[in-house]
Amino acid sequence: MLQPIDSLNILLPILYCLVFAAYLYDFFNEKKFVNNSKRIILFVTLFLHLFYLISRTIEFDHPPITSKFEIFSIIAFSISFSYFILELLTDIRGTGAFIILFSLVFQIASSLFIEHNFVVPEVLRNRLLGLHVINALLGYSGITISAVYGLLFILLFKNLKANKFGLIFNRLPSLEILEKLSFYSAVIGFILLTAAIIIGIIWLPNAFPNFSYFDPKLIGTFFVWIVYGIGILRKLLGNFYGKKVIVFSLIGFVFAIMSLIVTNTLGKTFHSFY
Amino acid sequence: MNLVGISINHKTSPLELREALHLNHDEIVTFIPRLKESLFSEGVVISTCNRTEIFGFPKINEFNLSPIINELIQFKPVNGIQQEHFLKFFSCGAVRHIFSVASGIDSMIIGDSQILGQVKESFEISEDLDFAGTALRKIFDTAIKTGKRAIKETKIGEGAVTVSYAAVQVVEKIFSNLDKKSALVIGSGETGELAAVNLRDKNIGKLAVSNRTMERAEKLAEKVHGEIVPFQFLKEQLHNFDIIISATSSDNYIISFENIRSALKRRKNSPVVLMDIAVPRDIDPDVKKIENVFYHDMDSLKIIVDQNLQKRKDQVPLVQKIIIDEMIGFYGWLNTLDVVPTIKTMRSFFEEIRNDELEKIKNKVSKEDFLKIEDMTRRMMGRILHNPTVKLREFAETGANIKEVAAHTMILKELFNLGEVPLNGNEFNEDEHKEDRVNEKE
Repeated sequence: MLQPIDSLNILLPILYCLVFAAYLYDFFNEKKFVNNSKRIILFVTLFLHLFYLISRTIEFDHPPITSKFEIFSIIAFSISFSYFILELLTDIRGTGAFIILFSLVFQIASSLFIEHNFVVPEVLRNRLLGLHVINALLGYSGITISAVYGLLFILLFKNLKANKFGLIFNRLPSLEILEKLSFYSAVIGFILLTAAIIIGIIWLPNAFPNFSYFDPKLIGTFFVWIVYGIGILRKLLGNFYGKKVIVFSLIGFVFAIMSLIVTNTLGKTFHSFY
Repeated sequence: MNLVGISINHKTSPLELREALHLNHDEIVTFIPRLKESLFSEGVVISTCNRTEIFGFPKINEFNLSPIINELIQFKPVNGIQQEHFLKFFSCGAVRHIFSVASGIDSMIIGDSQILGQVKESFEISEDLDFAGTALRKIFDTAIKTGKRAIKETKIGEGAVTVSYAAVQVVEKIFSNLDKKSALVIGSGETGELAAVNLRDKNIGKLAVSNRTMERAEKLAEKVHGEIVPFQFLKEQLHNFDIIISATSSDNYIISFENIRSALKRRKNSPVVLMDIAVPRDIDPDVKKIENVFYHDMDSLKIIVDQNLQKRKDQVPLVQKIIIDEMIGFYGWLNTLDVVPTIKTMRSFFEEIRNDELEKIKNKVSKEDFLKIEDMTRRMMGRILHNPTVKLREFAETGANIKEVAAHTMILKELFNLGEVPLNGNEFNEDEHKEDRVNEKE
């Protein structure tokens, strides 16, 4: 089983590179053939990536969450997978390059530095932990996609205000659609993050004797959850639309990134598995 | 092929002359019998706001086209019109021009979508008046096919090329579903009307019209099934609309910065699109400083129009390729007009020999044997003539070398002493042609 895992480890960055190139080419040139085939290439890549992650889980007898670079691979998968679902639901195909780029970067980093971890702490073999981490990662993927659409919204907004009618104007969907994509991604991210928090609250006190509700990672995640919760609620109540929604999503994303950096580097946490 | 034609269009004459010479449907119907009587055996008259053109097969083989121009000027006298205002076309050039017109690359606005329908309509008038034969029908069928291919296979008709349509294109970049939006068109002149019609075509949810003269507002509102906002209450109603398009002839701003600021407040800052397509402008351009206000005027919309026109120009070589492609097909068909009578005469010649010989033995063999011999000779003839028939048609249909087609036809005629066969395309019968193909397959 190691042979196919190693082969896929090399193949995946190449495939993501191909998907990114196809989406980027289509963004600039709008060719019918590329427009139809890029989704197929993305599907094949995701299928192989899923096979790779399952293979690792079976081969090493633990979910691939035991090192930063295993996590990176899951992030790469979850970003592209979330985008794929969004593209299928909305049939808006012009924005893929901006999202797939993130998957490409994460997968390259993962493939370069990933190691075969046969021996890991027993806690990392727990299925609930796997579910908790995957939900959290998919949630963060959702808010990342939301932020990308937010940035695209701001770009188009500025182009329209400045009477610039170039590539951005011609190839991006309308402001309203970008706002919807950003909002829906944020909602999906928020729901998954909620699930991760609930699983965490139930399972963490049993798994870690030194568990504390004042753990910096827990507090950081909770604040991110609160920021998105307020934004989503206000939008649903009708107080928020247009640029305000986008600005809120971007603030939420910056807050999430800052929280991750601070809690992973500065604070002391029980919540570190590797 | 002796197709000839004349054309006065936007490249050769000013608008006043083109307008004055324009023939409406009734005038064309009256004019065609005159052409039929004096000049053409068959023909077509195309007349739009940008061109008047006459094409046809002359009764006599004369390449002086002045009589056609004179006939037109006599029918519709126009001051200042001269022979120099007309382009003249012969044979292949005439076919190419008709194909170019139908595909929109000869239009004033390249890729104009209306011209194809106008060409089709013009040909239908000729057909109704029994002024169109097989060759002309084939030319116009191919022209219409060329136009359709140009639209389908290239981007010649894509993008907004009028300011009114560009305004709608920008609106679509801001709002996704226009059926849930409300729009107000201020001014019911030509530009305002066009904008209102474009919005209606895009299924705008609610459309209202406002104009200083109530009568004109009512007329436009009726046309686009819209509501009316009385001009004196205009400023109090602005907050009710997501899209405001203004195209009046007012000398001063009719909507100020303050009007929009207060309207936006009442809208709770919900985005609003303002399209000022009036010259001089109707809306204070400072409104673009307000967040969630998208303001565009003529200058900015002209950028889109120019970009799209350039994109259409870039598509012209692709359309020209389609035209060449269709011309090759057309001339291939035309060449078969010469070949088909030869094939028919050759087959008749052999059929006569077979019948003669069968007649000679009819009484010398039994009835059963005669039927067998008749069947055998028929099949034998079919096999003997199959290859020459197919080859000759292939030569003709590829249309690559007319001389080669003529040489083969000539050899065939001389070898079998087939004599003269009619070569006039006008006498060609499409049904017989089809029958030949069926026979050949059998």
